[in-house]
Amino acid sequence: MSAALPLLILGFPIVGAVLLAGRGWRWPRTLTKLVGPGAVWLSFLVVLAAFYTSSYGDFTYWRWIKSGPFDVPMNLQLDHLSLFMCLVITGVGALITTYAVGYMGHEDDPSYARFFCYMDVFVFSMLLLVLAGNFVFLIVGWAGVGLSSYLLIGFYYWRPSAVVAARKAFVMNVVGDVGMILGTFVLFFQVHATTYSAVFKAIPRQDSGALELAAFLFLVGAIAKSAQIPLHTWLPDAMEGPTPVSALIHAATMVTAGVYLVGRLHPLYDVAIYAHAAVALIGAVSALVAASIAIVQTDIKRVLAYSTMSQIGYMFVAVGIGAYSAAFFHLLAHAFFKALLFMSAGNVIHAMDDNQDMRVYGGLWRQLRPTSISFLVGSLALVGVIPFVGFWSKELILGSAFSAGGNPVAVYAWGIGFLTALLTGFYTGRMWWLAFWGQPSERRPVAHPHEAPRVMLVPVIVLAVLSTVGGFIQTTALGLGPHLVDDFLAPAVGVFKAENPFALVLGITTMLLAALLFLTAYLFYVPLGERVAGFWDRLAEVSVSHPRPWSARFPRLQLLLERKLYFDELYDAVFVRPLDWLAVEGERFFDVPVVEGSLSGVATLVQDSAGGLSWVENGFFRRYALVFMGGAVLAGLLLVFIASRG
Amino acid sequence: MSDITIGNEHLDASWFLILAALLFIIGAIGILVRRNPLVILVCIELMLNAVNLTLVTFSRQLQNSEGQLFALMSITVAAAEAVVGLGILVDIFKDREVEDVDELSELRG
Repeated sequence: MSAALPLLILGFPIVGAVLLAGRGWRWPRTLTKLVGPGAVWLSFLVVLAAFYTSSYGDFTYWRWIKSGPFDVPMNLQLDHLSLFMCLVITGVGALITTYAVGYMGHEDDPSYARFFCYMDVFVFSMLLLVLAGNFVFLIVGWAGVGLSSYLLIGFYYWRPSAVVAARKAFVMNVVGDVGMILGTFVLFFQVHATTYSAVFKAIPRQDSGALELAAFLFLVGAIAKSAQIPLHTWLPDAMEGPTPVSALIHAATMVTAGVYLVGRLHPLYDVAIYAHAAVALIGAVSALVAASIAIVQTDIKRVLAYSTMSQIGYMFVAVGIGAYSAAFFHLLAHAFFKALLFMSAGNVIHAMDDNQDMRVYGGLWRQLRPTSISFLVGSLALVGVIPFVGFWSKELILGSAFSAGGNPVAVYAWGIGFLTALLTGFYTGRMWWLAFWGQPSERRPVAHPHEAPRVMLVPVIVLAVLSTVGGFIQTTALGLGPHLVDDFLAPAVGVFKAENPFALVLGITTMLLAALLFLTAYLFYVPLGERVAGFWDRLAEVSVSHPRPWSARFPRLQLLLERKLYFDELYDAVFVRPLDWLAVEGERFFDVPVVEGSLSGVATLVQDSAGGLSWVENGFFRRYALVFMGGAVLAGLLLVFIASRG
Repeated sequence: MSDITIGNEHLDASWFLILAALLFIIGAIGILVRRNPLVILVCIELMLNAVNLTLVTFSRQLQNSEGQLFALMSITVAAAEAVVGLGILVDIFKDREVEDVDELSELRG
């Protein structure tokens, strides 16, 4: 029975996707509404069943390929880690697909069915990614989520920007896929096995150089999928997709696949110390860079995208220093509050006629109260304010980094992470005050916005509640209380042992400073005349002049951040332009003269010779007969001549 | 020289061959110089029968009946060929009254 559970978990979404792909465009919309989210809900129920019955195991169903030593079984591994991921994927996924029932309501029927088809494909691929019991199926799932991400970013395929963004995401992800495949090759070359269990059993006996190589190659895959530096530029552009997609794929689940990968391959990274340190460093740098860019973005979804990249940076720090369960706790927390933020932002965008520029919002607090409260909950969780879930998970990571004695990278990572936490407070505050506080902007597209329908509000409120109370499953950030996530994941990823005597002080300090910066953003982004009179007003008089004083004071820094540290320009100059140049010059000097020349030369030759010979085909039957007979006579004479000679 | 006996008459084989060659040449010249398609078909028949005569002659001369069998075969095929050729001609005549094969030169290059 328990062997059937993983198949059922995978089965519902893929059956839903096939039904929607096959018949969806001519179904009545009600049926699409039932099948699309329903498949994910059913899958969620099966995951819950597996959770309550503790149906763990490595189930081999059949042999996929057998060729010499290359033996790939079709096996699914349902352990504590993959079950944890399945809970996040199907749980948050079910809420978000339900939300999408309302959000995508404006689409016509075929697009509506197409959307849910892609979503179900995504959920299936993501579940395959986490349930796979060997590297081959891991790559299948890995590529599957890349594909569905591409399809959903390019969902509005009539917009050129969406198509370009989808292509960019796909190309960047393929760079990562190549890393994954090469990493699998290296491991296979070393141990001649493809299943996790066999590979991990053989790892202690292997040459460390090869392991480092494999670990770095998998890291390429992880940073491409998780949008970490330097393969991060696709994520902000991916916001071209519909908002539920941003919530599910580009915040809650797919982009955290890199974290899952490092956690899943922890026996490898525990041995490959350089690659392991690189994970933490890349995560820390990405967290800081993304948070600083988020300060100047004006598109609300792009701010959230950069904050996603920044929060995944934290998770990379945590897996990079070996605090795996802290990383997965933050993954869970982030899935809650970032999906919440994206969905509330989706409600706002919906109410604002699809305008995503925060500068033209303002004053939504009074008009969209439930959405505003939800967004505030998400924001406070993102900043890491007690008692919201973000506090417990983020402080757990920072505390683990601070106290990971003997690991020099961890201390730097803590420093950068601390700085990032402060920036997070500021940009989140900016987003909140700009969009929801003050007076409505004069340029606002809708003067009297309407709150979202109930189908969009209920999932948001559920996530708001989860973001508020979800943190209490593990409160070890303050050195006390329950540690359910640690306990649950211990069989899969082990326990991170680090005593942190300063945990309480550090955690509270970070939180207070971040919260202070959240409030400070008020002074910068709520115009003087619109402020609530009081303490902050008096503080404001001693603060710098308005508006946007810092950008005026540091124009170069502002420009640097607005251009996203010129990563796109750099890639354009290093990869895109040279390839364009190569293509143009290649066409001019090779394709046209050599390839096309030789082909059309042959064609011209045939045509000319045919033209030259066509006069013999004059259509006069008797002349053909004459030539034929003349030829026969000549042949006869030749025969006689030869006979007389011989 | 071997004779060929028909009833009580003995005749040298070369006479038959000379006759066949003459018939063949007459047919060939007819094809080349006449323009009426029907006459051309008759000339083709003439050439075919010249060949048949050759086959039969050699068959008698060599005392081997295969040549005669072959001539029978050839007569059958000639009949079939005449049917097809006449059929095509009748079809063309229904469309337009052709008196000169040179008018049928649409397939020139």
